[in-house]
Amino acid sequence: MADTLSLSLKHPNLWRNRLKRDMLCFTLVCLLLCLVPLLQLSDYSLGILIVALYFAMISMSWNLLAGYTGQFSMAPAAFAMLGGYIMGLLDFHFQVSLSWAVPLAIFGTGLLGLFLGTIVIRLKGPYLSLTTLSFAEIARVIIANSHEYTRGDQGLNVPTMFVDRVVYYYVFVAFVFGMGLLIYALMKSRFGGYFLAIRDDPEGAESRGIPVAKYKLWAFTISCCLCGFAGAMYGSFSQLVSPEMGLLQQTGLVISMVVIGGIGSMSGPLIGALLVYLGSEWLRDVGNIQMIVFALIVIIFARFFRTGLWGLTQLLILKLTQHKSK
Amino acid sequence: MGLIGPNGSGKTTVLNMLSGILTLDSGSVLLNDREISHLKPSALARLGVMRMFQMTRVFARVSAFDNLIIAGQALGLSFQKSVTKADQLIVELSLEPVKFLDAGQLSGGQKKLLEFGMCFMKSPKLALLDEPFAAVHPQMRETMANFIKARHQEGHSFLLVSHDMPIVQALCQTCVCMNTGKVIASGLTKQVLSNPQVVEAYLGGEHV
Amino acid sequence: MGLFYALMAVGLSMIFGVLRIINFAHGEFFMVGAYSYALIASYFGISPWISLPCAAMVGAGLGMCVERLLIRPLYDGYNSWAFMKDEYAVVVTFALSLLLIHLVDKVIGPSPFVGPSLASTQRIAIGPVMLNGQKLIAAGVSIFLLVGLAIFIKKSLWGRQIQAVAQNRFGSSLAGIDPIKTTTIIFALAGALAALSGALLSPLINPSPDIGSFPAIKSYIIVVIGGLGSIWGSMFAALILGVLESYFAVYISYDYRDAFGLLILILVLIFRPQGLAGQKGRDA
Repeated sequence: MADTLSLSLKHPNLWRNRLKRDMLCFTLVCLLLCLVPLLQLSDYSLGILIVALYFAMISMSWNLLAGYTGQFSMAPAAFAMLGGYIMGLLDFHFQVSLSWAVPLAIFGTGLLGLFLGTIVIRLKGPYLSLTTLSFAEIARVIIANSHEYTRGDQGLNVPTMFVDRVVYYYVFVAFVFGMGLLIYALMKSRFGGYFLAIRDDPEGAESRGIPVAKYKLWAFTISCCLCGFAGAMYGSFSQLVSPEMGLLQQTGLVISMVVIGGIGSMSGPLIGALLVYLGSEWLRDVGNIQMIVFALIVIIFARFFRTGLWGLTQLLILKLTQHKSK
Repeated sequence: MGLIGPNGSGKTTVLNMLSGILTLDSGSVLLNDREISHLKPSALARLGVMRMFQMTRVFARVSAFDNLIIAGQALGLSFQKSVTKADQLIVELSLEPVKFLDAGQLSGGQKKLLEFGMCFMKSPKLALLDEPFAAVHPQMRETMANFIKARHQEGHSFLLVSHDMPIVQALCQTCVCMNTGKVIASGLTKQVLSNPQVVEAYLGGEHV
Repeated sequence: MGLFYALMAVGLSMIFGVLRIINFAHGEFFMVGAYSYALIASYFGISPWISLPCAAMVGAGLGMCVERLLIRPLYDGYNSWAFMKDEYAVVVTFALSLLLIHLVDKVIGPSPFVGPSLASTQRIAIGPVMLNGQKLIAAGVSIFLLVGLAIFIKKSLWGRQIQAVAQNRFGSSLAGIDPIKTTTIIFALAGALAALSGALLSPLINPSPDIGSFPAIKSYIIVVIGGLGSIWGSMFAALILGVLESYFAVYISYDYRDAFGLLILILVLIFRPQGLAGQKGRDA
């Protein structure tokens, strides 16, 4: 009996093992990222990478919500914006230091996430997307129009934490990796299974003993906290938070990154974010056609390659190993 | 116990009420003398009331084995225990060949068996089965029937909704028949099945 | 304003009623309609009254293409592994909308592109109220279309097929109705309606590639408030929304009037998810 058991646990399609492989790939990418500054890139290029990492964080948290738990929220960019603004406002009006402001930003976005999450718990599919979309737009419009408090479209200036850009870069890589670890730990535990069950069949999950509402809320709140955190960090780096952070177009970018990279995986969002953002910057120089290209790619991927680049690599590896064993 | 009745008589509604999916307008449901009608399905599941659906519900994008593990963990089992139990159930339900396929890739009958397994990760006090034999391959039907028989002998209670009279006769000692939302007969299966009112409900009586 | 919203919303409502998906690219049908009308009328010098139906046809064509390429797989025995049906639709139509916006932006240019007005008189006085001639005509056409559509749905063969498929897709296929063709019709209709709405409005507002998003959001709100899948509901809701918004804009705050609409959406979704007149379909 014990033999078949240990054999069972080794099978590649077991969730644990899929996750492990994913995490390994993720760690590899992070390590590669650590080597990048050795290339002596300009401050400008480093800056682009840092923003890509910002998007990677949002993408990973959106994947947690959408890819792992099945809640397709349209509000990730909005929550990043909110996180940035909470930090910015605390500094602007109350001169709160960053070491307090950032945790408060996380807390604040968590509360807002809890609030929105409770509203959308009962909603399915498109209703959820619509509601989160409305929330995102309302939030953005409010911030953009509250000139006395938020300086509206001009945005808020935010103090920076580190002077050296390379330091910022490594900090961001560290945060991305940290987030990855967090999500990995979460998905490996029993909660990961619950999220997946909720994604695949919410009513079935409920009948098997999973309190769906509770865990949906958890996924939602955690995802919002992570987005808020990313937003706060971005604000500190770019020294400016503006309502543009919360544009629907940004959410669109995030969704493209996750779809192209591979929804429902860990490395997918990271790879997707890097590729899409770097690609968009490059295309911007070429002829400002980046959105067209990416929207097209997203449509093609969604239609034909639903598992994204990560899924494709998996298939490739599978085919290669099959050839080998022959 | 069997629950029979023509289409539309309210059988699934009863199951829905018992498993917490519908709320009661009046009356109460007691489990071991404890009122449970207000509990959510997940709470009921953990108390030991398991529901199987007419439309098979599995978690399509994880492996069949993972489905069982998740079900076990949801009921409170540790990972290790879930794995052991899942292994046992796979063997008992003859699902070895598809153990590691994504649940969505299984055939209809296999999915039903898997759902069965998920309900039994932790021995339920009461299993509510909604037409489990519908559209299932005869061989799998046998596996399921044997499974139910074995568990029944161990002391578990089943409420079986089915149109398959031979199976109801074979497995259920007592039986209740409904028609248009009311109970019209209950008692020993043989008696219920030969009750003229029951026959009429199914065949339509003079209106045929 | 409510009437124009209604045109768009009705199309969206039909799509949702039948397929249970939200078409995020609906706003772009509107935009394409506006642009086609302007292009056809200005570049080719064709009379505005003929350009209108042409624009509608462009919309219909676009709708059919979308349906064919992107939506077909949803029900053609499609085995989804990473996407569930609703979410696929969201992503794909969202991407499509971005694609269309930027494509038009690139090809035609972001500056406004106005088509000719239908009415020669700009201002008509009716009693104490000053009305814009174009608006009046547009309103008239809209009412005509809406009523026509309602009759079409209720009476004609196609219309009843649409109703059947909306209520029970599988069942209606057994009854001999081809759901795929019906869906194509619906998409074409929805596209045409949205495009027409865009064409009618284009002389009034300055068409730029992103004007589609604004009415789109309004139509989502309307569709939800009115009840997804119900044509009368959408029309009714559109009017209500139009009125409420104007009221809000004048008396409370101009800036926030868009947000107001969204707020209503959220409230409705919380308290009455099926809208005013919506039906709950069978899950089978």
